[in-house]
Amino acid sequence: MTMSVVLVRPWTDAHGGTGCCSGDARDGICLDGPVDGAHEHDAEVGLVAEAYLRLREELPQVDVQIVGSNNTAYLLPRVFGTVRRRAGVLAALRETNRATTAGSVLVDGMRVGDITVLGVDGVVDEVRRRAGVLSD
Amino acid sequence: MPAIAVAVVVGVLFFLGYRYYSAFLADRVYALDPAFVTPAHQLNDGIDFVPTNKHVVFGHHFTSVAGAAPIVGPAIAVFWGWGPALAWIVLGTIFAAGVHDFGSLAVSLRHRAKNIGTIAHDVISRRARTLFLLIIFFLLTLVNAVFAVVIATLFVANPGAVIPIVVEIPLAIFIGQYIYRTRSAALVPSLLGVVGLYLLIWVGQQVPIDLAPVAEALGMDARTLWVILLFAYTFVAARLPVWLLLQPRDYINSHQLFIALGVIGLGMLVGWNTIVAPVVNDVPEGSPSIFPFLFITIACGAISGFHSLVSSGTTAKQIDKETDARYVGYMGAVGEGSLATGAVLAVTAGVVATRADWDALYPDFSTASGGAVGNFVNGVGVFATNLGVPLDLAVIFAAVVVISFAATTMDTGVRLQRYIVQEIAEIAGWHKLARNLTLAGVIAVAVPLAMALIPGGGDAGYTFGVLWRLFGTTNQLTAGLALTVIAVWVLRMKRNPIPQIVPLVFLLGMTTWALFSQFWDFVQAETWSERWVLAPLDAIIFLLAIWLIVEAVMALRGGAERRSYDEMGTPIGDDTTTPSV
Repeated sequence: MTMSVVLVRPWTDAHGGTGCCSGDARDGICLDGPVDGAHEHDAEVGLVAEAYLRLREELPQVDVQIVGSNNTAYLLPRVFGTVRRRAGVLAALRETNRATTAGSVLVDGMRVGDITVLGVDGVVDEVRRRAGVLSD
Repeated sequence: MPAIAVAVVVGVLFFLGYRYYSAFLADRVYALDPAFVTPAHQLNDGIDFVPTNKHVVFGHHFTSVAGAAPIVGPAIAVFWGWGPALAWIVLGTIFAAGVHDFGSLAVSLRHRAKNIGTIAHDVISRRARTLFLLIIFFLLTLVNAVFAVVIATLFVANPGAVIPIVVEIPLAIFIGQYIYRTRSAALVPSLLGVVGLYLLIWVGQQVPIDLAPVAEALGMDARTLWVILLFAYTFVAARLPVWLLLQPRDYINSHQLFIALGVIGLGMLVGWNTIVAPVVNDVPEGSPSIFPFLFITIACGAISGFHSLVSSGTTAKQIDKETDARYVGYMGAVGEGSLATGAVLAVTAGVVATRADWDALYPDFSTASGGAVGNFVNGVGVFATNLGVPLDLAVIFAAVVVISFAATTMDTGVRLQRYIVQEIAEIAGWHKLARNLTLAGVIAVAVPLAMALIPGGGDAGYTFGVLWRLFGTTNQLTAGLALTVIAVWVLRMKRNPIPQIVPLVFLLGMTTWALFSQFWDFVQAETWSERWVLAPLDAIIFLLAIWLIVEAVMALRGGAERRSYDEMGTPIGDDTTTPSV
């Protein structure tokens, strides 16, 4: 089965808005960049982006996703379902809560660390280790 | 008829629409190709352009398109009967909204995830970008005006909801700061926030806040004072970083969305409430006619042009495989249609027990418009009582849910309006205004404030009803522009554009008919506000509609063709630069 890695976006990398006529539409309106607008991103986004790109390049067999901590419609049922099958309901509830921590690195639903603590190399090494691929 | 039975039938129809019609669109009209390299792969930067699992994208897309707006229109439109309202929601969702939302995403994917306004510049004309910005300016103006009136009306009708909503602001900021500073998980604090909010409902019930005496001392009514206070608040809130207030409040709201959906569904199932409203209502003489007004009263929920702003530009940057666009785009429309269906059932089965009670709530269009949101709140309150919640608390709970969403709509709406003011100022060469956030913010607040305060509202909510219909027309015009862009692109790909042209012609027909009819009423009216404010506003939007029709006809006849496409439907040549308009 493919290993699943989720990198949770930083809290400050927020896109505003909920609902029709007020949702996340900044990019749907503005024209201030080469392809519809540069965002004002938190510096931590760079870490997530770098880790994501390296994981995609170095471990193509791993499924890597970047998810906003506010994407509850995906994050909560996904983590709960994945962990519950392997570790039971209590562990699933605990991991579901932990998964909503900004900067989290989730491997098959389990939180294995914080990207600001692990660093990009640490994230790649951790995923590589868990995927059973020897580091260089 | 039991409300739950209607909900099941609508669910089946939506399923069939997704299963068969969206498959037809994907294969024959948009010709989705799983091998196509999407912008998320072409421009993958791990920040904005990120190939993402379709369920992740849908989670983000759905919460960006489903909110308070699909509640209000249907709650008004059942005035013509629940049959026509529901028929428009179902047919609109399957044959118009699905085509529009899915198509906006598909066309954006073939244009490097550009937004619909920019693609309009590419495939229609240079003028189309300006037209797009002007339509969105009026759309957001009216959104902010109507939601200010919605919140103010609910505050006046439910003074017990004031404390929970007001305290939610510092509560959300505190939760956001706690999560940010301590790098804590967001779920438990935000759930505690929801619990705290609902505990405050009890406090609010004990200490209702009625501004009527203060308003009277200031020589105005309570609703007017609330509208002014709300715009003063949004002026400040729209200047705050998104993550400080909007993000944590959105987080709390996302829990409330699912709680409210659960209450409506479970409440209907447990209570087995029956629809007491007429299938087709015999409306009093002098009421707005079902054609064209039903079709602009329900915009969000049947088709909403705003979705094209989310689909293109934002969602398109995250699509992994082109074939995912069908699920994300079409199901987003279905999700919104489902919310609108819930609103119809709440105001026809939940809010009252007998036909006579319902007739008392919907005696004429003015009363129906003014009371629509309150009727929805009371309807959801009744569904909640089926689950054992006391009625008075249940009603405040429902009011808190609706106001929370409406307040977020205003916060974001004013922020987006500020962007639009800056964009238009940049195009017009007013560079100082384009760079002055305070001045742009003042304009973004002052224009809708003036609209919301147009005299004539009163308890009957006449002005609100008119503003809501004007909002519906601008939203439909936005959808019309997006459908034109999609149709031109499909046509140039030598595929059949009928799925876009049919809803496009229908929407433009209903919109211009409604605008013309309203204009005639306004200029003949006796009040200065109708003759000198609403009539010119209606005329401007009417001119935008005519402009759009001209652009659409010219583009569809090929007269405005400016770009060549390869056989994959992607523009040939460099299209990455920002167009100068």
